[in-house]
Amino acid sequence: MRRFLIIGNGAAGLAAAEAIRGDAGRAGGDDITIVSDEPHPAYSRCLIPGVVAGELGFEALSLRPPGFYGSLGFKTLFGRRVTGIDSARHRVILENGTGLEYDALLLATGARPAPAGVPGSESPGVFSLRTYEDATRIAAAAEEASSAVVVGGGLVGLKAAVALRKRGLKVTVVVKSPWILSKQLDRWGAVLVQEALAALGIGFIFGQNPAEFAQKRGRLMGVRLEDGARLAAGLVIVGKGVVPEVRLAREAGINVAAGVLVDRHLRTSAPGVYAAGDCCEVSDLVTGERSPSALWTLAVEQGRLAGLNMAGRAAPYEGGLTRLNTVEFGGIPVASAGLVTARGNGFQELSRSARGAYRKIILKDGRLVGAVLVGDISRAGVYAALIRRRAVVEGLEPELLSARMGANHFPGALAALAGGPAVPQALEKMES
Amino acid sequence: MHRGVFVRYERCLGCRSCQLACAVSHTRAGTLAEALLQGEAGGRRLFVDQVGAVKAPSVCRHCEEAYCVAACPAGAMWKRPDGVVTNAGSLHQCVGCWMCVMACPFGVISRGPGGQAVKCDQECLDGDGLPACVKACPTRALVFTTMEEFEAGRRRAALQGAAATASGGR
Ligand SMILES: Cc1cc2nc3c(=O)[nH]c(=O)nc-3n(C[C@H](O)[C@H](O)[C@H](O)COP(=O)(O)OP(=O)(O)OC[C@H]3O[C@@H](n4cnc5c(N)ncnc54)[C@H](O)[C@@H]3O)c2cc1C
Repeated sequence: MRRFLIIGNGAAGLAAAEAIRGDAGRAGGDDITIVSDEPHPAYSRCLIPGVVAGELGFEALSLRPPGFYGSLGFKTLFGRRVTGIDSARHRVILENGTGLEYDALLLATGARPAPAGVPGSESPGVFSLRTYEDATRIAAAAEEASSAVVVGGGLVGLKAAVALRKRGLKVTVVVKSPWILSKQLDRWGAVLVQEALAALGIGFIFGQNPAEFAQKRGRLMGVRLEDGARLAAGLVIVGKGVVPEVRLAREAGINVAAGVLVDRHLRTSAPGVYAAGDCCEVSDLVTGERSPSALWTLAVEQGRLAGLNMAGRAAPYEGGLTRLNTVEFGGIPVASAGLVTARGNGFQELSRSARGAYRKIILKDGRLVGAVLVGDISRAGVYAALIRRRAVVEGLEPELLSARMGANHFPGALAALAGGPAVPQALEKMES
Repeated sequence: MHRGVFVRYERCLGCRSCQLACAVSHTRAGTLAEALLQGEAGGRRLFVDQVGAVKAPSVCRHCEEAYCVAACPAGAMWKRPDGVVTNAGSLHQCVGCWMCVMACPFGVISRGPGGQAVKCDQECLDGDGLPACVKACPTRALVFTTMEEFEAGRRRAALQGAAATASGGR
């Protein structure tokens, strides 16, 4: 009987545990333990803005039915923190001093919010939004506050802003970049989304960071910006991105850059220790650049593959798109994958806007390397798949810009993905 | 073995009867009027693309390891025990995050009305167990069968074609 230990009960940890069990289910017999410092069964982190808005309770977030862990024979240590890894002795140490031995260990420790790094960050009333507990604390604080400032115009910041607005607070978003969602959208796409958010009553200030969170007699008063302007606020949410949670790995002498470094089989530099999800650094399929993983889809995929590898079923990880997002604000759906702007010579940007919808594609050497869809996201998955597969799309630009293109245009590259039936000759010839 | 919709591309004329029938079968009243009223906003469950000279319907394959199921952060998209992949009738409600739209390499999941994703759910089978799109297809370009049967049928057709050619054909 092999002993598998998983630190983290998020998207990656859960996918890994299920993959280790595989088709054998409970009968697999291996010993699988999941440790998490969060006290709950796995829940969907992406949905916690709904808790802030008062729309969702924990039940609605849970990812598996009640009794799930027991039914697969997983041992759970929830509400327990791992404080150290002794990789030479294949042991981890819990907060209370207990040691747990493993044959294979998975670090699925996720990420934590990047701090604002300004005075007053510890004030009551200043929050970040990462966990269910964060969301319930913000919801409680929102009961007492009439106005809020959100720092950061990324996905999490904007979702938080919308949630607070739904509760009736006056909300101002302070953004350092010249436009919102600067990682997901170009300027034109961002303007469409910003208009939709403004229509919900959300205000924006660009080109600024906070300089201080001001408090008086232990109460948050507001935010002073770099330019000296003051915004009154009883509640602040800092959404300046996340940093991979690498403390355990680093202290154990495991190779770490911005995130834990893994090879193609999601192995870290320590024998028997794997890593997956937001705690990792991965290379982007399009740019080849290393960056923190930071996406739900990547966490699930890496977790599953790490689990297979840990169980001895070698499954190489081909890398992923570190930019792949969908969201909807104020009735405007957004999907973006790969690059959002050209990166110099050899790149080509083509765009089209019609009836409130904006669609842009970015090509390099005839291959699709990025797509931005705002207002109409139909066929988004085809773009993402083409980018991932480095498919040649030359000659099909009009179809791509008008969303009149599907997997059938790229039978060799895409149609076989599901192990589906062979495609006819006539279609196969179409592919470059 | 579960059945799915397969395409005989060479037969498709691009008349879009399948799309219309699909839309009608997914309206509450099951009427053409309601389907037309919803129009594009109703969210498409299958597509007919022009690929060069060929009309090419795109349909959900109800994948074994479905990308949309893996991508769903809400736990709404699931593979039913009968093999149908759908965001209806599971543990949780679809929240309209559209990750499945992005995850599907075949581009056959849409943003539907009411803030939820729509896709082929085979909720349209008639008394004979035929889906609306297949039933509506005038050239029988769409067939409802298992992968094994479909492939066997293609092989038979290919063999017959080869035999005809070998014997001098017609
Ligand atoms: C509001 C919000 C919205 C989001 N929306 C999207 C979206 O639309 N699309 C998208 O792709 N992604 C989105 N994300 C990001 C997505 O949630 C993450 O990419 C994903 O949750 C990563 O999963 P993970 O398993 O790697 O890490 P996590 O889910 O962070 O899980 C890690 C777990 O490990 C635990 N842990 C860490 N250290 C220890 C320790 N020493 N001992 C015990 N336990 C430990 C943590 O407490 C945590 O429970 C969103 C995130 C947030 C917060």
